[in-house]
Amino acid sequence: MIRAENISKYYRLGVLGSGTLKEDVKNWWYRKSPESLSTTSLSRDHIWALKNIHFEVGKGEVVGFIGKNGAGKSTLLKIISRITLPTTGRILGKGRIASLLEVGTGFHLELTGKENIYLNGHIMGMKKKEIDRKFDEIVDFSGVERFLDTPVKRYSSGMYVRLAFAVAAHLDPEILVIDEVLAVGDSEFQKKCLGKMKSVSGEEGKTILFVSHNMQALRSLCDRALILEKGEIIASGAPINVITQYLKSGKEQFLGNDYSLDGFLPGNEFIRVQKVELLPEYLDHHEFIDIRTPLRIRFEFWYDVAEPGDLITGIHLFSFAGEFIFDLPSKRYTLEKGLVRGECLIPGNFLNDGSYYISIVFVRNTTIRLFYLESCLSFDVEDFRDNGSWFGKWAGVVRPDFPVVLTPQLNK
Amino acid sequence: MDKNGGWQWEITANLGWFRINLKELIQYKDLLLRFVRRDIIASYQQTILGPVWVFLQPLFTTFVYFIIFSRVAKIPTDNIPPVLFYLPGTIIWTYYSDCLTATMYTFVQNAYIFNKVYFPRLIVPLGYVLFHSFRISIQLILFIAVYLFFAIGGKNIHPNADMLLIPVFILITAAFALGCGLIISVYTAKYRDLENILQFVLRLLMFAAPVVYPASLIPAKYKLIFWLNPLTPLIESFRSAFFSHRPLPLFYLGISMATSFLILLLGIALFNRKEIQIMDVI
Repeated sequence: MIRAENISKYYRLGVLGSGTLKEDVKNWWYRKSPESLSTTSLSRDHIWALKNIHFEVGKGEVVGFIGKNGAGKSTLLKIISRITLPTTGRILGKGRIASLLEVGTGFHLELTGKENIYLNGHIMGMKKKEIDRKFDEIVDFSGVERFLDTPVKRYSSGMYVRLAFAVAAHLDPEILVIDEVLAVGDSEFQKKCLGKMKSVSGEEGKTILFVSHNMQALRSLCDRALILEKGEIIASGAPINVITQYLKSGKEQFLGNDYSLDGFLPGNEFIRVQKVELLPEYLDHHEFIDIRTPLRIRFEFWYDVAEPGDLITGIHLFSFAGEFIFDLPSKRYTLEKGLVRGECLIPGNFLNDGSYYISIVFVRNTTIRLFYLESCLSFDVEDFRDNGSWFGKWAGVVRPDFPVVLTPQLNK
Repeated sequence: MDKNGGWQWEITANLGWFRINLKELIQYKDLLLRFVRRDIIASYQQTILGPVWVFLQPLFTTFVYFIIFSRVAKIPTDNIPPVLFYLPGTIIWTYYSDCLTATMYTFVQNAYIFNKVYFPRLIVPLGYVLFHSFRISIQLILFIAVYLFFAIGGKNIHPNADMLLIPVFILITAAFALGCGLIISVYTAKYRDLENILQFVLRLLMFAAPVVYPASLIPAKYKLIFWLNPLTPLIESFRSAFFSHRPLPLFYLGISMATSFLILLLGIALFNRKEIQIMDVI
């Protein structure tokens, strides 16, 4: 059980160095004078990393913290972990607490794997007897038993991380504080760790506080989620609602533009684009796009070509990394001068999660490019998984949902 | 339910001055021993001579002193064979200076751990002192071996029962070094300039203590201030326990002990108060 009351924290900005003594003397001097703190340089050089944080976590509850970089998540975890002090407020707690802000803290490169298991275990707060008891299990979990007597500096980075995780996974506190540590390690091992974490919280009734950018992990592990923004808690509640709110607020999507509103239609003498839209067919009333969401693309343009001929439009989809995902042409149309509407449906269960943008090309007589409307739409596809025991990034450009059937065959 | 309505721990903005939590320190005993073990193993990894260096270091130093201060500068050694004369001073001084230098970098050297996990920070400097205590124990064995060698050689030396107090002398040295180290560690974390000054101060301090010369060389008018240095009575008593019938300088030993433990208390209080705040400025 943990209760945070009115937690705030400010940090001094800028380089600490040659000026510190002078500044300290100055601060000390100002503190002596009655018109103190807030009026002097303090307000300008300091940033409130956390402001009046209140929350309570019950026994056995799993709570996830979401927020952008710099929102104060890590600062909050550090305060709970007693690594840094709050500027105001207090935290009350009940039960043995352990923090996993990093795996393998204090590993010494010159020492063997075995020595490091003990060293790291003790640093994380385990007693010798406890490690003795779990030693075989830890070694087994790490999968590096053959290298136990080798200094860890000879380990590959993968082995190093596995060993570090193995110790972490066998911590046995009543309250566990976890920072984004699941981002490392290979996917198979990640799966193992999350499975372990899940069993820890579910079966043994542990209280867990954790920070993650992994919406899948949050969704399936947490009982409750909190959003931190600029040092304040702006939402708290059931993970699915909070995650929805977070995804909706945080993204810079560009789901459509009606150019006629500002009077300038992009294009040239042949093509004038009036409107482009992305119309997601949302599921479950959650207004964000996940991999299951069908996406309707609709665009309108003025077509003005005097001579007869045909027109093809092409929809180009790119990932934000710049990979060209597909080039989807329309059929060949012979069109009259006038307003034209194009429409296309990208089905659900087709794109993998990620960020995408769309460009549209207009081509005459299969070879002459009339106009190219570059990156007119952009959107993010969130991940979704029903049964989650694994939360790593799903590989691949597309994410089809074709049935794969296994049928047992009779042996002859 | 206890006094806080069932809550077992509390984190607030301010740490008190005297919140030395012995119970917590004892809980982390395993970590303390593991740190010592780590330092012992790590310090001799990939050295050919390994632990033999613990012996060689004071021997080399003594040899250098012997050449420079005894042969070249011809500073008297109270009629004690020079090698035997220099060893106790070297051992005590090295212990003091090693403990101090190690503990004063507690925050700077361990920031990467302190930034990730909580445990009573005092464990780290305690570990350093224990590590150097392990070394000084080995060096004492070396000293006794050399001593026996000279004794069997029939030199004019007078062992006496004060020898049994050697562990006490070492304990006082440790308290003095740890106390100074803790206080300095809090300030070097913030003002790195101190490190440079301290190297210099340490060197001066060595010559202010009777490491390479006997106390009898000090003129009467400086005697009081010379003996107020906590290290002076410790080194002198160590020598007289092995080499003479002179009574121990009990008065100065008392002052040395009082000063050392006072500084230690001060150091622990300051360290405990600042140990977490420091992480924001390091």
